[in-house]
Amino acid sequence: MKEVPISTCEREFILKAIRDRKRIDGRQTYDYRRLKVSFGMERGCCIVELGDTKVLAQVSGKIEEPKKNRPTEGSIIINLELSPMASPAFEPGRPTESGIEMNRILERNIRDSRAVDTESLCIVAGEKVWSIRADVHVLNDEGNIMDAASIAAITALAHFRRPDVTVMGEEVTIHSPEDRDPVPLSVHHMPVCVTFAFFDQGEFLLVDPNRLEERVMDGRMVVGMNMHREICTLMMSGGMLLVKEQVLRCSQIATVKVAEIIELIQKALDKDAQARQAGEKCGFAESVPANKITTNKKEPTLIDTTAAAQQASQVIQEAGPVDKPMSNMIVQAPGTAQIGEGLVNTWQIDDVDMESEEEEEGRKKSVTNGKEAEATSKPTERKRPVKAVSHADDSGSEEEEKVMLYQGDAEMKSTEDSTALQQPPNSDKPAKKKGKKKKAAQK
Amino acid sequence: MAVHITLPESRKKSAVPDAPKHLVTPGDVITTDTGYMRGHGTYMDDDKLKASLAGVVERVNKLICVQPLKTRYNGEIGDVVVGRVTEVGQRRWRVDVNSRLDAVLMLSAVNLPGGELRRRSAEDELMMREYLQEGDLISAEVQAIFHDGALSLHTRSLKYGKLSQGVMVQVSPSLVKRRKTHFHNLPCGASVILGNNGYVWVSPTINDEKTESSGGYEQDLEPVPSTDREVIARLRNCILALATHKLLLYDTSVLYAYEASRQHQVKDLLQPDIAEKVADDTRQRLQMESG
Repeated sequence: MKEVPISTCEREFILKAIRDRKRIDGRQTYDYRRLKVSFGMERGCCIVELGDTKVLAQVSGKIEEPKKNRPTEGSIIINLELSPMASPAFEPGRPTESGIEMNRILERNIRDSRAVDTESLCIVAGEKVWSIRADVHVLNDEGNIMDAASIAAITALAHFRRPDVTVMGEEVTIHSPEDRDPVPLSVHHMPVCVTFAFFDQGEFLLVDPNRLEERVMDGRMVVGMNMHREICTLMMSGGMLLVKEQVLRCSQIATVKVAEIIELIQKALDKDAQARQAGEKCGFAESVPANKITTNKKEPTLIDTTAAAQQASQVIQEAGPVDKPMSNMIVQAPGTAQIGEGLVNTWQIDDVDMESEEEEEGRKKSVTNGKEAEATSKPTERKRPVKAVSHADDSGSEEEEKVMLYQGDAEMKSTEDSTALQQPPNSDKPAKKKGKKKKAAQK
Repeated sequence: MAVHITLPESRKKSAVPDAPKHLVTPGDVITTDTGYMRGHGTYMDDDKLKASLAGVVERVNKLICVQPLKTRYNGEIGDVVVGRVTEVGQRRWRVDVNSRLDAVLMLSAVNLPGGELRRRSAEDELMMREYLQEGDLISAEVQAIFHDGALSLHTRSLKYGKLSQGVMVQVSPSLVKRRKTHFHNLPCGASVILGNNGYVWVSPTINDEKTESSGGYEQDLEPVPSTDREVIARLRNCILALATHKLLLYDTSVLYAYEASRQHQVKDLLQPDIAEKVADDTRQRLQMESG
């Protein structure tokens, strides 16, 4: 399936942003996206995530006959797979030109620079040698597959353990992993590729282009380098011309980036080695964070809190004096206390209306009160603020009904003013006040 | 910067007024009666006629076919499409029209300045890039269909040609209703081209007099006033709201959606609940008109 062509205004927007030294995802010119290296249960299996670009590498070994002109050397094969899983633009079947190009860069980077010692892969000269194969699959293409693939390949090769082999005269014994611990490959150095994208005929460059930037770029340059500042690969493609200074500048930037990346790889390898030694669970299931649809996990960001403490003390100083706490609490019963009196109840309760019309002379209504109390205690707790004691004088003119809830005591006081019933009929809510209770036990 | 966050909502059952008659999925048996002719989207298995697509079964006398609900655009002769030029080739341009294959616009099928009956010369071939480049948007009509399904377009009328200022909205091709005309000058102050391939072009009102002189390839790049821009933005959001709620797009529905959206701010129309409200209002109004 072909890719939807990028619109002209989108292209112009990205280019304009780059000319203003801005990137659309907020990175700086030389910033890499978040790089994460994780290992699987098997030895030699590694997933590298560079932002959203995901690449999986798996290393396997086989015993074969060596080449005729190199009878004492094993072989390293690197195979890069670009399947439609990575992006709908990739077709299944034969690799495209860009796919072949990337494969060649990977091979040159690792094999031609002798990152892995091939002499140590020899078992019987001229007859049996190890053939190590690294299969790199791209799981998701969000730009810059080259870098992610190179990191994955070399990390997987460093992680891999091949079965131990002993040669006794004419006998060759390949030990199973239970017999003898598998042996690591001898990795001399770790060459990692750094990709540079160029815009405006080489005037602007970006490190680690994402997918949109890749579609808009004029050309790219890949620099493969190792920790010792040795350039293992140098490749330029696309329709543009570069000046010598540009190339030198890129290699300088690459030294810095490669150092960071290799440090991260080493840390990941060490962590995995420790986990395996300690017998902890390792593998992809452990390294993948729980992906719940309703949660969005974000890495913790460092916040500078030195000013916060100062600010807090300032605020406390400037704040006015605290109000004196009210001390006129009436304890009705153990566990029930009352502070102040409530407001006019504006909730319309129909059954109370009918009852109140029946009991005009302030008859005690123990049963109905219980019902009302349940129905309305909740709203009053939610809605009615605690009123200061001074309001008690004012509220003498208005309706007031104190409803106490305690078990076994039928003494329910209810004072209903006649004015409650004489309220104008067009007001929807009969006036009915409730005292606010502070139930310490409930807290 | 304020961020609008909404929780995931459970899918609501849309109140579809008239439920479709016969929905099938690939492999479903449509009928076991052997008297029917097979149309698109069906195949014979033993003696049973089965569906090969997910869609609605349509029956015309003895012909049974399945109209898919969601598909890539399949061109018909006479359709109006909006497309983007992807490649400039030998005496032709390749245009992306949301179909399985890119459509072809031949050099002989376009209007060249200087009259229509001019013979295409070698200079014209070299000057192709002056007319249409990669990334340009055009409106065209389907002239013919190749054997492999690729469309052949033409811009022989003055109303077709390169599109200049406006907004393109991509919706599913099945949502664009087939009408007599796909170019609409809406009374709210904008023009809209509802391409059959699902690409909709919203632009400021086209004056008919202006397009007479040019060959359809001159772009009017004067700045568009902000009132027009607001109308265009609102129309775009309305079209997206209608498309998300699977309402057919035609001039009346777009216009009703615009009027229903008047009470909201343009940017609020992108929120799912407000978009749903606009779509519901439009649906109700359309039902009232028809029913």
